[in-house]
Amino acid sequence: MKKPLLVSFLLLTLILGACGGGSLEGEEVTITGALIGVEQDLFRAAFDSFTEETGIVVSYTGSDNFEQEIQIQMESGDTPDFALWPQPGGLVDAANRGYHIPLVDLGIDIEDYRANYSPYMVGLGEVDGVVYGGVGSTNLKSLVWYQPDEFASRGYSVPETWDEMIALADQIVADGMTPFCFGMFSNGASGWLATDWMEDIMLRTGEGTATYDKWVTNELAFNDPVVKNAATLLSQIMHTDNYVAGGVDAIVSTSFGSAQDPMFVKDANGNPGCFMHRQASFITAFWPEGEQEFAGSKTTVFGFPVIDNSLPKAALGGGDMWGAFNDRDATKAVAEYMLSLDFFDSIAASPQNSRLSGHAFYPSDRYGSDIYKEFGKIAAAALEANAFRFDASDLMPPEVGSGSFWKEMMNLAVEGPGYVDTALDNIQKSWP
Amino acid sequence: MKYKTQREKFLNFGISTLALGFFPLVWFLSQAILFRELTDILSRNVLMILGILVGSTFVFLLFFGMNKIISYSDKDSRDSLEARMFVGPTIFMIGLFLIYPAFRTIYLSFQDRYGTSFIGIENYTWAFSDAEMIVTIRNQILWLIFVVTFVLILGLAVGWLTDRLNKGEAFFKSIVFLPMAISAVGASAIFKFIYEYRPPPLTQIGIINGLRVSSDQGNYICGNNKEILGEIRRVGDENCLSPIGWLQQRDLSNLPFVQNLDQDIWLNNFIINIPLNTLLLMVIMIWMFTGFAAVVFSAGIKAIPSEIMEAGQIDGASEVKVFTSIVIPYIKSTIVVVGTYMVVTVLKAFDIIYVGTRGDLETNLLAVKMLDEFSKYRNIGRSATVAVLIFVCVFPVIWFTVKREREIAE
Repeated sequence: MKKPLLVSFLLLTLILGACGGGSLEGEEVTITGALIGVEQDLFRAAFDSFTEETGIVVSYTGSDNFEQEIQIQMESGDTPDFALWPQPGGLVDAANRGYHIPLVDLGIDIEDYRANYSPYMVGLGEVDGVVYGGVGSTNLKSLVWYQPDEFASRGYSVPETWDEMIALADQIVADGMTPFCFGMFSNGASGWLATDWMEDIMLRTGEGTATYDKWVTNELAFNDPVVKNAATLLSQIMHTDNYVAGGVDAIVSTSFGSAQDPMFVKDANGNPGCFMHRQASFITAFWPEGEQEFAGSKTTVFGFPVIDNSLPKAALGGGDMWGAFNDRDATKAVAEYMLSLDFFDSIAASPQNSRLSGHAFYPSDRYGSDIYKEFGKIAAAALEANAFRFDASDLMPPEVGSGSFWKEMMNLAVEGPGYVDTALDNIQKSWP
Repeated sequence: MKYKTQREKFLNFGISTLALGFFPLVWFLSQAILFRELTDILSRNVLMILGILVGSTFVFLLFFGMNKIISYSDKDSRDSLEARMFVGPTIFMIGLFLIYPAFRTIYLSFQDRYGTSFIGIENYTWAFSDAEMIVTIRNQILWLIFVVTFVLILGLAVGWLTDRLNKGEAFFKSIVFLPMAISAVGASAIFKFIYEYRPPPLTQIGIINGLRVSSDQGNYICGNNKEILGEIRRVGDENCLSPIGWLQQRDLSNLPFVQNLDQDIWLNNFIINIPLNTLLLMVIMIWMFTGFAAVVFSAGIKAIPSEIMEAGQIDGASEVKVFTSIVIPYIKSTIVVVGTYMVVTVLKAFDIIYVGTRGDLETNLLAVKMLDEFSKYRNIGRSATVAVLIFVCVFPVIWFTVKREREIAE
């Protein structure tokens, strides 16, 4: 009857399945993360040389809903080998709940790692002194985009201090144009651009990186005078008449991805819609068609202006961090590769890349586009001097960093400068 | 006789245990343990084939074997035994995947953010005191009132009016029903483009802002960077209307007609505070479901016997009177059914908010808030609390429906 056939078939599959395995050849390592589209393709391509060498097949799947999916996967025990968290906060949370493996168990030399990636960045992935997170790619945020030709043709000079920038803005307004582009709307994350401004200001006022670090952990309260000063300076940009095209409504309604578009469009008088846009290095991916290749020439950056001359130059940035869920041999090999200097090569060389390597000694001439060579130099220098600071709203507890901080910034934009105290009090109250 | 009855009882008991206990046990053992172990050893394709083979073979054997066993029992209890045999596995599945999670969620709503330690009703006090939650609940109530009312009214209107048409009835009903064919995400994306905002001096791609920006103001010619009649009309300066971020308007304060209203009068203040973006998002759901209501009501109206309608008209009743005194009472149960369905749909509304604004700017609803608490803020206790809130709102609707079904059956 059918029975003997069935039994023999089952036995055959079991035997076949048990055979094989041994060397790492053909082993599969899975990574999930939030990178999609072009960034996903670039990330996958970075493992091509690795697969050729070792035979380990690395498969990366990116998802829009990574943050939901990874929670479910962790709770059900059905995790991939690595998770590429978009910020360290998620990794620290997962490590706290016992899901991640300490890097030292993966055979990583922690001292080397700290030296190569800066103690600050490594510290972001630490829980109780044990390192769980591997630094992935970074992006630079203390940048103001502008078009040198527009400045030159009108006799404007690049501002180096905050006061110079305000004077330039007033000059532009007097000439009948709008100085700033500012767009905060972002599905579910509206308000993060204003938090970036505040973080850049915090790094350059008070005691610089020292106050910044205290602010991130709430050792420095949110309604402390230093923070209030930062919020007041931010309000100066958002609320001064004619500083932003379309006023406060535009700030709240413009999506961050299209916020810089007015810079590329001339209005009825032949003037660009705005002259300065403070935004991170990854904004080039959002520019209109044909503009991205001129990043660094037609449209380039100047560093966020200094506010307090006595403080050392710091750089604000963001980045992702990966964590491992097991310590198989194949996982160890991939972890070591991802922390090596050459890992980022194929990504850096691509013209569509919008990220920077987190390695402090990554040669900036390996980047494909000129402007990324610039960014690379700035980022590496800051990392080497341990003056690179991570985006604060990503480091704070999610109720604040992804919740009240963003919302109160939106409220501040709408309500006006008088709302600064209430906004900061509300955020401080919401700290868990 | 006695001996046989005891044997019967034993057999009944045995079969019940088999259906309600043995099957789940073997299912659990095979799925949870055996296949989990095999996952690491066998390749995915082999595992898939194995799973299908084992699963289908087992189910076949189970019912075949149970049927054989039941045939040994006496005729009287055979019916109830067969019922238990067929229903048992289903009850187990529903219990495992619906009832157990429901109880676990209620349990989790009393726990902290990691779901590990008990914190009493703290999450519930948070749910009713946190500013954002209050806004979310307010939105949910507004959605319930407006969406259900408008869908019912517009659906009735379309159903009734298309019935009175001589020709074109099928055409108009199809057009109104068409939005049901697309997903909620598709509808939300369509309306997001309609409401789209670009900062000046960019070209407006949303139709509402495009029309607004292009409308000539007095002597000033305003445009939207489009070529009209051979001449390019650029976006104008301050004399022209500026675009409005429609989905970002938390109240009506940016609309022109509001500028002149006296704020001290209570009614004016109330009007100014109407949440425009929530209303605009409601339009999406009303647009989607009016067709459904219209089609259902149309069927109900066509079922009214024509003699009654004619009797009303002979007695001299006007159109309105016919509608209110004859049609509405006759299709009352249809209205209740559609209303119930809409209430449940509104309480589940997720895609429209998720795609539209992702809950920003005071547009959030409970379903999206539940997801936010789970994945954005990683707070399992609060997420479970919001889920329980939704459950508590839906429960009366279901209970009422079941009660009505029972009354109709009797």
